Amino acid sequence: MFEDHEIISTIEMVKNEHLDVRAVTLGINLFDCISHDLDTFRRNIRKKIIGHAGSLKSVCDAVGDKYGIQVVNKRISISPIALVGAAFSADQMVEIAHELNDIAKTVDIDFIGGFSALVEKGMATGDTALIEALPRALAETQRVCASVNVATTKAGINMDAVLQMARAIKQAAELTADQDGLACAKLCVFANIPEDMPFMAGAYLGVGVADAVINVGVSGPGVVKRAIERNLENGPMTLGNIAEVIKRTACKVTRVGELIGREVAADLNVRFGVVDLSLAPTPTVGDSIGEIFQALGLSQIGVPGSTAALAMLNDAVKKGGAFASSHVGGLSGAFIPVSEDLNIAHAAHQGFLSLEKLEAMTSVCSVGLDMVPVPGDITEECLAGMIADEMAIGMINAKTTATRIIPVPGKKAGDSVYFGGLLGEAKIMAVPHMADASLFVHHGGRIPAPIHSLKN
Amino acid sequence: MNKFIITVLTQDRPGIIAHVTKVLFELGCNLENVNQMILQTQFAGLFLVEAPESIDKDHLQHTLTARSEGRDLVIHVNTLEETCGTDMDPDGDIFLITTIGPDRKGLVAGFSDILAAHRANIVNLKAVFKGGSDPKDNVMSYQVWVTPDMDTGAMFTELRQKAEELGLDIRIQHKNIFDAINKI
Repeated sequence: MFEDHEIISTIEMVKNEHLDVRAVTLGINLFDCISHDLDTFRRNIRKKIIGHAGSLKSVCDAVGDKYGIQVVNKRISISPIALVGAAFSADQMVEIAHELNDIAKTVDIDFIGGFSALVEKGMATGDTALIEALPRALAETQRVCASVNVATTKAGINMDAVLQMARAIKQAAELTADQDGLACAKLCVFANIPEDMPFMAGAYLGVGVADAVINVGVSGPGVVKRAIERNLENGPMTLGNIAEVIKRTACKVTRVGELIGREVAADLNVRFGVVDLSLAPTPTVGDSIGEIFQALGLSQIGVPGSTAALAMLNDAVKKGGAFASSHVGGLSGAFIPVSEDLNIAHAAHQGFLSLEKLEAMTSVCSVGLDMVPVPGDITEECLAGMIADEMAIGMINAKTTATRIIPVPGKKAGDSVYFGGLLGEAKIMAVPHMADASLFVHHGGRIPAPIHSLKN
Repeated sequence: MNKFIITVLTQDRPGIIAHVTKVLFELGCNLENVNQMILQTQFAGLFLVEAPESIDKDHLQHTLTARSEGRDLVIHVNTLEETCGTDMDPDGDIFLITTIGPDRKGLVAGFSDILAAHRANIVNLKAVFKGGSDPKDNVMSYQVWVTPDMDTGAMFTELRQKAEELGLDIRIQHKNIFDAINKI
């Protein structure tokens, strides 16, 4: 039996506060599909992925229906194609991307991630081919997501890869110029990429993970925001008490994610992996990270105090989630994707949130410069420098950071871009010194891994 | 086994349970379980007792009624065998069906009729107070025992159609989601 407030709060979270499960992602290991023959490889991956994921969507819908919680996105992550397809050329990699795209359509899932390479310490043949294939692979497909890990805390930053990724991003944008560079919205550059992340565009299945595994990404910024507002309506609170409210709310949200994830995993007869505790916004009023900042008393995200607020939010979410579930992983923190969050996009357009402030904030939250549209004529050196800066934050702080920057061809700062769906829309952010062509990124090589003592 | 279920109804006030349990104690009855609820100003209590073999149903009814004279209690005694016939399939699950919207006559009858037609047992039904004074915020919650042999798809569809007909928002959710969020 349930108390009135338990029934009401649960209904409110789902009905008015946008509580949902943002992503159920089925990870599938493809190492047993490897072949030197492209046709065989394509047949193998098709058979294995469809074999595991054929009923993913219907199972997610049925479980979501049972609990009255929508599973917004059903996705697949696979072993890094640069590893399992190491034998293939760049052109063949593009064909693999088409095959994956077709498989994703066949099983009716939103995105398939894992067109990926791990190159933090150097590039092998497959990695080079994959990076060369990226622009075409992403421009010619709709559902394939790519990620390249160019840095780790233990390996340092592969600056050759950083520059190559800047070039790949520019090319991918040019190839989708008629869609505001949409291909770049499906491409993340990472430091310390997690191997069990359910969120796109960075999801891939790590090599140390089970053959098939369900990872779940919860959402809930609207729920957190309303919890803060409700408690503040009862009178003033200290930030310590507000953090407690966030923590308790994150705990509830996480338990919902785990409940759904475990049931989907059981129905698919695969192992349950992790709940990713990230607060993921959508371009919907009331489902925004930016609005949480306003609930906390900041006029807009980006004003002084924003980094501190984000640090508190991120930490409280992790604490609540870690209490709720013993199996947490992925990114687990608050996302601040510019175009995907109506409120953040607005703050950026109004000048409250600059690129520099955004970068500073990424030192205390998950991901990084995410879904940031920039002018299309940004130099590759400037773009590489932005990526390197973000990787350095991740490397030094032993955390995941990433960039998902979209240089929009033919457009300048302040112009509108529209990506559609969850990718949202925004005004192009101004990039200081974007014509810079410094030599720094051309030195190449690897920035060495940092020392782990003498912390200051 | 000489077990009885005693129902007590009256205007709520202090001392009702004290009085009933005192009489039961003096009769040598062992109180095995008790449940009570207050609906607005009305008290309803259920007392499950094991009585000495010498006490039968009529004696218990008569004694309780006589000892409660002047207290305005409605007392009803049944032997337990007469009342425990729920026949619930242990493989079932509880779903919470919540309707939100304006109050109206026939609302509960409309939904419970559908549930009864599908042999779904209502294990708890309550009007939930949401706060505020908006008449459109009337919330009814039905906790329903759903078994694998039922055509749940058809039942849920009929419930949703009924809600639409009555202009209500309806949520049908397995109880585990409420446990996950609230029972930490």
